[in-house]
Amino acid sequence: MSGLLEIQHLSKSFDTVQVINDFSMEVTEGTICCLVGPNGAGKTTTIDLITGRVKPTSGKILFAGNDITGQDEHVTARAGIGRKFQVPAVLRDMTVRQNLEVAYSRQTNPFTNLFTFHPSGLKQKFDEIATLAGLTHRLEEFAGNLSHGETQWLEIGMVLMQEPRLLLMDEPIAGMTEAEIEKTTSIFKDLRKSATLVVVEHDMGFVREIADVVTVMHMGSLLAQGDIAAIEADARVRDVYLGEEEEAA
Amino acid sequence: MGNIYHDKKLQWLAYAVFFAAIGIVPLFVGDAFLLNQLATYGIYAMLALSISLCWGFGGILNLGQGISFGLGAYGMAMTMQMQTQTDSNPIPPFMLNNSLEHLPWFWEPFSSTAGGLIFAVAVPTFFCAVFGSIMFRARVSGVFFTIMTLAMLSAFYTIILDQQAYTGGANGLTPPASLQIGSFEIDPYSATAYWIVFALLCVATVLAKLLTQSSFGLVTQAIRDDAERVRFLGYNVAGYETAIYTISGMIAAIAGCCWVMLVQYVSPAQLDVSLSLSMVIWAAIGGRNSLLWAMIGAFLIQGGQSYLGDQFLSTWLLLLGGFFIVVVRFLPNGLASLAEAGLGWLSARLPSKSGRAIESVTAEEGA
Repeated sequence: MSGLLEIQHLSKSFDTVQVINDFSMEVTEGTICCLVGPNGAGKTTTIDLITGRVKPTSGKILFAGNDITGQDEHVTARAGIGRKFQVPAVLRDMTVRQNLEVAYSRQTNPFTNLFTFHPSGLKQKFDEIATLAGLTHRLEEFAGNLSHGETQWLEIGMVLMQEPRLLLMDEPIAGMTEAEIEKTTSIFKDLRKSATLVVVEHDMGFVREIADVVTVMHMGSLLAQGDIAAIEADARVRDVYLGEEEEAA
Repeated sequence: MGNIYHDKKLQWLAYAVFFAAIGIVPLFVGDAFLLNQLATYGIYAMLALSISLCWGFGGILNLGQGISFGLGAYGMAMTMQMQTQTDSNPIPPFMLNNSLEHLPWFWEPFSSTAGGLIFAVAVPTFFCAVFGSIMFRARVSGVFFTIMTLAMLSAFYTIILDQQAYTGGANGLTPPASLQIGSFEIDPYSATAYWIVFALLCVATVLAKLLTQSSFGLVTQAIRDDAERVRFLGYNVAGYETAIYTISGMIAAIAGCCWVMLVQYVSPAQLDVSLSLSMVIWAAIGGRNSLLWAMIGAFLIQGGQSYLGDQFLSTWLLLLGGFFIVVVRFLPNGLASLAEAGLGWLSARLPSKSGRAIESVTAEEGA
């Protein structure tokens, strides 16, 4: 299978600071790719570049064979890229129900939506995702009143409501309990059947559980790529990242 | 949770009661002057409605709603002025005084009543669509957009004041006769004029309420909450912002037309900053997140101004200012939050009656 997402020689500099430096990677359809690296390695910036929040200085991003380099956020989202933010971004002044409903974005045209009161297929998808996210008893609660774990779940639910082909998850398990992490692990493995995931994560235990491929970034460049065993054996990776983490722990 | 204030059916009922109450007013008011004044309140309500839609639901604070209102009013005044011009006397007198010999090109469409009425609404709507689209595409938002609306308002005010030969300048336009539709003359002091304003307000409110309950309304509320997040869901935020800003502007333009129909007069004062600020204050005091309460806010403030203002004279502004500060400090969502809290208290205490509706809702969710 060819790569669903292909990043070719991507570079980004803010003023004189080179944040992403000739970075290339390829994500195979139906796999979970974990993006790891020390703080400041450029992981979140890479996600920003893929989704179009930040425009690259040079390089190319292909999604399902189409060039999406520098497209706006709503264009990449419509193309089938869903994103979960590092700091959970839910609509805090709206209810859990409204959050999930607005995320069901099959129809994005404002004029059509003026005359839409019950989007087709919403009910079924809504029930499925609300159950999956374990939020059925919290539907009328304002999202701002949810606990941290619940907020994480709500945002994952929102991304799933979009039915994306590619899910970009920026630190999805931060702040979750052991039980919640276990549940996330099994759901992510399930998701692989219908979607492709890129997960930015620091928790190596979680990465070990879910990753098909691990991509290590360092100083805005690709340091190493391979399965988890190869990565953990890699001396350079131990040097800049894993070793650092062990010392910290 | 379970607050009947949020019950959609009961909300529609509240709107029905509200419109029934203001709809029967002409049956009880014999004084033509008073009826005319009450009809202008319908216009204030329309303006408050437009602000509530744009600011309360769309999160776009517009301090330049006077542009749409004023352009709509000028369009109507031009139409009514041209109705009194004849073949032997084709040019409005003020133009002759300013030694214009031909009717300016942009007055031409207003020679026909139908064309005039269409242009009176279409021009401000088109302006909003273009201005909004330029601003929102460049992601100008929040206080920066508000400042831009204020700047545009001042620009329009200055142009209209300055171009005396074309606009009547500071004197404004004073069409000598009431509006004629076909052979029918709309006497501004009649119940008919009241009904027309009432009907337009009613239609605008129902459509606005439906809008807030549609998928479009859901997306605009999400944008108000976090525009950045909504982009990543696949919605073109600028498109939604432009749409709600334009719809709101169109309602204000219709209000402007009605205004001139009722008072037979327009001047740059309709584009004065203080009027546009007043609209925002009505919505803020009533409750910008509720179309109904924004309209009630307009009634309360303008009613207070008419009746208390006469008694307190300039002290009235101080009272209004003090009241505004109290509301902003203690009721950030306006008087509507009092109603919300009151009904919340009530629904907690009425398990037998309202509880049934709520139970059926929760049962649906459980299924």
